[in-house]
Amino acid sequence: MALYDKILAVRPNLTQEDFMPEGTIMLQNDSDGKGDYIREWNHPTETKPTQEELDGVA
Amino acid sequence: MVTSIKGNATSTFGGNVDVPQIITDAPAFSATSSANTSASSGVLTKLVLNTEQFDTNSNFDNATNYRFTPTVAGYYQINAVLISPSNATATVADIYKNGSTYVSTVFYHPTVGVTQRFPISALIYLNGSTDYVELYGLQNGGTVLVAGSMMNGVLVKAV
Repeated sequence: MALYDKILAVRPNLTQEDFMPEGTIMLQNDSDGKGDYIREWNHPTETKPTQEELDGVA
Repeated sequence: MVTSIKGNATSTFGGNVDVPQIITDAPAFSATSSANTSASSGVLTKLVLNTEQFDTNSNFDNATNYRFTPTVAGYYQINAVLISPSNATATVADIYKNGSTYVSTVFYHPTVGVTQRFPISALIYLNGSTDYVELYGLQNGGTVLVAGSMMNGVLVKAV
């Protein structure tokens, strides 16, 4: 499962708009083989998920 | 810089004319993606621009970092077209300078089911040594950024 989907699974109140440029969360992939990562997390109420939370999503 | 053409008593214009210097060796490049770039929905992803159409000064890396790092300082006109998949509902195109957004555009698709092409451009100062530009894209709803996306650029004023 992609990082984006894992985040939505553990933070279901987030929406597509949260990940757009005017949103509060920025996911990035530098096409270097290292995969997706959270570059910025500035959401006012939802906390940044821990790696353990993300790993717990099937 | 300008070149001055000096007039004389018999010239019809009778004065000096300044002619802008033509940069004959201005670096220019054009690169495109020959295959889809894997891009998870909602993730700003660097375009794999692996095919050069031209690269006059060998300043574009089409093998590893997919970036333009010119060796001549100046102002560059950078243009790009991002192709978003037909099932995307929104698309972002970003020109990055040195790893961060320099200019960004956001498009909400009026029609889902049609592959969409989005242009973006910027005039960017690059220092001729360490500065570089890259193309990033984001799509919501699909899994790729479509092959044929491209970026090109040319030096328009050396400094």
